[in-house]
Amino acid sequence: MSQSARIVPISSGISRPPQTTSEPLLRVESLTKTFDRKGTRVIALDNFNLNVDDGEFVAIVGPSGCGKSTFLHMLGGFESVDGGTMSLNGQKVTRPGPDRGMLFQEYALYPWRTVLGNVMWPLEVQNIPQTERTEIADKFISLVGLTHFKNHYPNELSGGMKQRVALARLLALNPKILLMDEPFGALDAQNRELLQEELERIWDTSRKTVLFVTHDIDEAIYLADRIIVFTARPGRIKADIRIDLARPRAMEIKKSPAYTEYRNHIWDLLREEVLRAREEYAS
Amino acid sequence: MSDQTANLEQVMPEAKTAFGDQRGIGILVPLAILVGWELCGQFGLLPRYIVAPSKIIATWWEMLSSGELIGHVGSSMFRQSLGLLFGASCGTIIGVLAGMFGPIGRFYEPLVSLIYPVPKVAILPLIFAWFGLGDLSKIVVMTISIFFPTYIAAYHGAKSVNKIHLWTAQNVGAGKARLIRQVVIPSALPDIFNGLRIGLALSFVLMVTTELVVSTKGLGYVIARAEENLRFDRMYAAILTIAILGFCADRLLLKIREYFLVGQLMSKDRGHG
Repeated sequence: MSQSARIVPISSGISRPPQTTSEPLLRVESLTKTFDRKGTRVIALDNFNLNVDDGEFVAIVGPSGCGKSTFLHMLGGFESVDGGTMSLNGQKVTRPGPDRGMLFQEYALYPWRTVLGNVMWPLEVQNIPQTERTEIADKFISLVGLTHFKNHYPNELSGGMKQRVALARLLALNPKILLMDEPFGALDAQNRELLQEELERIWDTSRKTVLFVTHDIDEAIYLADRIIVFTARPGRIKADIRIDLARPRAMEIKKSPAYTEYRNHIWDLLREEVLRAREEYAS
Repeated sequence: MSDQTANLEQVMPEAKTAFGDQRGIGILVPLAILVGWELCGQFGLLPRYIVAPSKIIATWWEMLSSGELIGHVGSSMFRQSLGLLFGASCGTIIGVLAGMFGPIGRFYEPLVSLIYPVPKVAILPLIFAWFGLGDLSKIVVMTISIFFPTYIAAYHGAKSVNKIHLWTAQNVGAGKARLIRQVVIPSALPDIFNGLRIGLALSFVLMVTTELVVSTKGLGYVIARAEENLRFDRMYAAILTIAILGFCADRLLLKIREYFLVGQLMSKDRGHG
């Protein structure tokens, strides 16, 4: 542990003060969420604080059921908030909005629309003229490499291709912050790696702020500038780790010693929480 | 409607091989019965109330070419299509709304449970008393009857919209009207079509039933008159006409369904077409 602390100097704090003095893009303050499960109150999030700067790629890892997805859904405006505040660009988050684009694990494509129709949809909702709509949609479809499939329906595509379409749709929406809820969780290992590379490449050109929830440590280190490790329920920040790996990142980076250090460090942190979560379920 | 749909032949290949892979094998038994039936007719072995197929076709052709049949078909189909139109549109629209909005659902659901099991034919005399013996009362009965299956199908379709699909719509900033038009209705459409198919069959059943009770024109009327005059051949000809109309209407509906559900039927079931 002491060795990893040397390599990862800012990692040890429970909650890190914001690095810059300017206002962060996303500010989450003392966020609380409780569920009522069969009469007993379950605290999903307890006094959760987080600041995210513009252009940061932040991954959130944690044991399953720790409230990391719940947090993302609250930020998306889909779940109610029981306490605390969230603000994006100084504006309070109260309901769903196109400034926070979601990418779901389940692809969430409309099966009655073609690839092009799905990617164009957010533009249609925003009343963007037809010619411009097609232009923008074509651009993002080609960015994810699906130009030949643009007139296909989602049911004709594989899982990896579907998630590419969903990514293109998200980029066409052009939100201030991208919220990704285990987007590659349903894919097989090879497809997941391909999609990770593609996301890294696309992100590198746009540098949009991303909040990426995952249970895959490798995915988190490979993609993120910063990793938030959640505690077991109730979800709090256990560690906030900066990943100082040069970009653009190739898959080979996973073989580097620095990468392995990060991996071991985060895995140790996570393991404690996974075991704690298991104890809680057992009791 | 899920990705997990499969048919028996995929799960049990032996069910397919047991009958060989020849197309049209299913038609063999009905064909044999038909031939036997015709032969019995030719040799005079049939009772009066069973008419040989060739005789039915001859009478049917005679009724068709004289223009008599067209008039009855027109009269029947006029009531049937209006009843279907009103019943199915009320059922589908209210069903979608009830599935989407809690208060509407809470109002209609117990009402449907109460009235659905009552055979609408049982209230036919009442309807005749209120709306007279003409077209109106028949259309009213059909409308009421067809409302229920289409309502229930649309209600469940609208209620079971994928949560992630709704969230995605809210995420891009879609308003309520767009949400209903572009998300709820398309995802409820497979269920709505199931309801429409039941409604369509029901409309034919009621078309004949109401005409049998009281009418001056229509296919049910032809059957009722034929019975009085012991013209069994005309009776069979009318039944044959109903069967052909029903078959064509059902096929047409399946074609329309295929057109509207093109993306949703892909790599899944393709209906029974």
